[in-house]
Amino acid sequence: MARSRFRQPSILPGFGLTLGFTTFFLSVLVLLPLAALVLRAGSLSLPQFMDVLLDPRSVASYRLSFGAALLAGGVNAVFGFIVAWTLVRYDFPGRRLVDAMIDLPFALPTAVSGIALAAVFAPTGWLGQKLATTGVQVAYTWVGVVVALTLIGLPFVVRSVQPALIEVQRELEDAAETLGARPWQTFHRIILPAVLPALVTGFTMAFARGLGEYGSVVFISGNLPLKTEITPLLIVIKLEQFDYDGAAALGFIMLVTSFLMLFAINVVQGWGRRRQVAASN
Amino acid sequence: MSIVLDQVTKRYQGSPVVNDVSLDVGEGEFLVLLGPSGSGKSTLLRAIAGLTEVDHGTISLHGRDVTHVSVRERQVGFVFQHYALFRHMSVADNIEFALRVRHVKASERRARRRELLRLVALEGMDDRLPTQLSGGQQQRIAVARALAHRPKVLLMDEPFGALDAKIREELRRTIREVQRELRMTTILVTHDQEEAFALADRIGVMNQGRLLECGRPDDLYMRPATRFVATFLGAANLLLGYPTPRGVRFTLPAAEAAGAGSPVEPPREVVAILRPEEVELAAGEERIEASYVGHGHVEDVLFGGAVEKLRVRMPVHGPVAASPGRDPGEDEFGSLLEVSRTIPEQREFPVAPGQRVAVGARRIHVLPTPVSSFTIVAADEAAAQRLRESALLATLASRMHTRVSVIFVPRPWSEAHERRELRRAPPGMPVIEAGPGSAAAAEWLLRHGALQLLCMPPGQSLPRRVVIQPSGEDVRDATMAVAASLLRHVPAEATLFGSQPLESPGAERAGYLQLLTDLRHAALGQSASSVRPEVVTGDVESQLLHQLDALPDTMLVLGMSAADDLGRERLARFLEGPVARPVLIVRPFDVHAVAGH
Repeated sequence: MARSRFRQPSILPGFGLTLGFTTFFLSVLVLLPLAALVLRAGSLSLPQFMDVLLDPRSVASYRLSFGAALLAGGVNAVFGFIVAWTLVRYDFPGRRLVDAMIDLPFALPTAVSGIALAAVFAPTGWLGQKLATTGVQVAYTWVGVVVALTLIGLPFVVRSVQPALIEVQRELEDAAETLGARPWQTFHRIILPAVLPALVTGFTMAFARGLGEYGSVVFISGNLPLKTEITPLLIVIKLEQFDYDGAAALGFIMLVTSFLMLFAINVVQGWGRRRQVAASN
Repeated sequence: MSIVLDQVTKRYQGSPVVNDVSLDVGEGEFLVLLGPSGSGKSTLLRAIAGLTEVDHGTISLHGRDVTHVSVRERQVGFVFQHYALFRHMSVADNIEFALRVRHVKASERRARRRELLRLVALEGMDDRLPTQLSGGQQQRIAVARALAHRPKVLLMDEPFGALDAKIREELRRTIREVQRELRMTTILVTHDQEEAFALADRIGVMNQGRLLECGRPDDLYMRPATRFVATFLGAANLLLGYPTPRGVRFTLPAAEAAGAGSPVEPPREVVAILRPEEVELAAGEERIEASYVGHGHVEDVLFGGAVEKLRVRMPVHGPVAASPGRDPGEDEFGSLLEVSRTIPEQREFPVAPGQRVAVGARRIHVLPTPVSSFTIVAADEAAAQRLRESALLATLASRMHTRVSVIFVPRPWSEAHERRELRRAPPGMPVIEAGPGSAAAAEWLLRHGALQLLCMPPGQSLPRRVVIQPSGEDVRDATMAVAASLLRHVPAEATLFGSQPLESPGAERAGYLQLLTDLRHAALGQSASSVRPEVVTGDVESQLLHQLDALPDTMLVLGMSAADDLGRERLARFLEGPVARPVLIVRPFDVHAVAGH
């Protein structure tokens, strides 16, 4: 088994070459800069490092960054699923147009999305005005951050769930119905389990993207210290003050935390997959 | 009755995919719905399950009208072509699904699952995932799953469609055994006639949304009523024959075929089916033990294991030869005879391609179809070509697997001329071109033995509507039979146009409506297009023509009784009016006499 795994016949020739290429790319583009970051952060003494880490401003920014990214990921998981469902299951005029529009947040410079959102949700903006009368303020609050991150993360969920939903043949729903399942039972026993791995993947990607997002957030968040400051912004501020070590320390913290979270999600997913296979043996 | 369908119709974007289907399935009966793809059989099955809503008609299960009842409440078991197993669930969870959503206790579920797995002979597979099973095993699980909630009716949609031949046969046996053991009313949909024969108590044959015939497999095979069923259930040679007091003859003297024979009684033409296995081959006429049909040449021989399949080219008879510039052999109808012979038959009389053989028929069955063949009656080749190439005639001929022959009668149609060239109408249905002079031609043909006549503009397309007007009691049956045959091959909306005397009181009117309903069921029931009755009072003909002029793409089927006026002026009103349309005129004939042969 172990031998054959590395000797799978493949349409791309030269396993050695491709593996070398992969390693090289990963090293130069990912590992090396990250190592530099870690080194830079390591030049701080432990108390200095802890100072940066536990600075109330930093802690507030973690809360906002991780909290907003999680919340936006969650919102996207629900609404992205519904969007994907609509696109897969219904044929309506302009469906292709809507389908193409889903990818726009990928293509737009994030700053453009940020400015656009700010213009709409600012207290003087046309949606912000109306919201203000109901007492809800989006721009310059944490809500604005979540809105920006939701916009940025939507395509990740839609694009990962779409193919999985296509796979769920309508016949399966018919089968569940003839077996006596109510619509809700069909959904949570048949459809959801079938698309759950794809949904988790989409959520993870949206979440990861949300953590690192900068451009679209800074315009709508208002950047009030301790209130609406995200960690990436804090890093930029430190850089602007030539506090490279502090920036590196914050970057290091983000790196470790994101890696741990993504790794955890991966483990959970892998565990789910293994459990399914195990159940079958 | 376990399942009762009454006039079920389902339309997609206006066109019916299931068309006025009525059907009763008895308790514990195994019914197979057979038809080509697109015939509406799967849609009908889904309608019974409630997965598809019907536009018209009612569906009853065990005496309860379930037409508007949800799928869940109908309590049916459904088996899908591609299994539709839940892939993220184990076999056990799949089978228990119906019980789980009904909140049945775990111990009961387990017991039921064991029982079902034993029934489909897959004990011990409980913990497998569907993807770890073969196709045949997956479908067995799907059957077990469909039975878990003890449905009263089992519906299967092409359950063997995705399996290879050997597994198919095995699974077929399993399903038959399960069905027998549970005595469960079952409807299975398939396009495979072998499957239908192997499983069915009764077979219903569908085509173009219509349930054409329904009956015991051997009955349908031996005595089909329609061309479609005859050719769809097994191979069949469709032959044109001429009933005589001593049986059906397959050849006519050329002169007689061309309509130049005795002017007294024109030969009735019938469509007979001759199964390939009922054909006898011998060296000479005297060696034929069955009835002699004619001589032919062996075209090709194909050895297929237990049976030998060969084709024999028969000389084309009938008036085709009258068409100049056309090789008579071009006409495929009846010219190539399919034959299959057993090994003893081959041993007794081995044949080789090219050999001249005598052909006999052991058994033929005459179809009770009122339309046998078409004969274009035209002035010249160009006119004949225009009619031959029209979509209406081409479609009818190809769907009926019938012959279109041509005879030429120069215009203008004068009495003197007729006597020389033609002494009576040709066999089959004469087809003439609409326009000036068509009324004269129609009058002559109808007076000289034509029982039906089709008059149409050149290049006529398929009509979207057919208006039927039977006239007089004696022609009613004939008109309905011809209209039914027409609608079977050219789907269209039908309007039944009827009249009642001006002075008729209410009671007579009710009687008339009753008659309409009866007619509709009796004559159109099986071909069953959507039929709309229209009753008028007063001058029926004027109102009919008035209505027709307002309806484009309409064909008229007009009954003309023996007592009816066949005058040229009256015919001209229908055939030479300002709006050209196809008109099919039907004269009375004994519908039941045809079926008797």
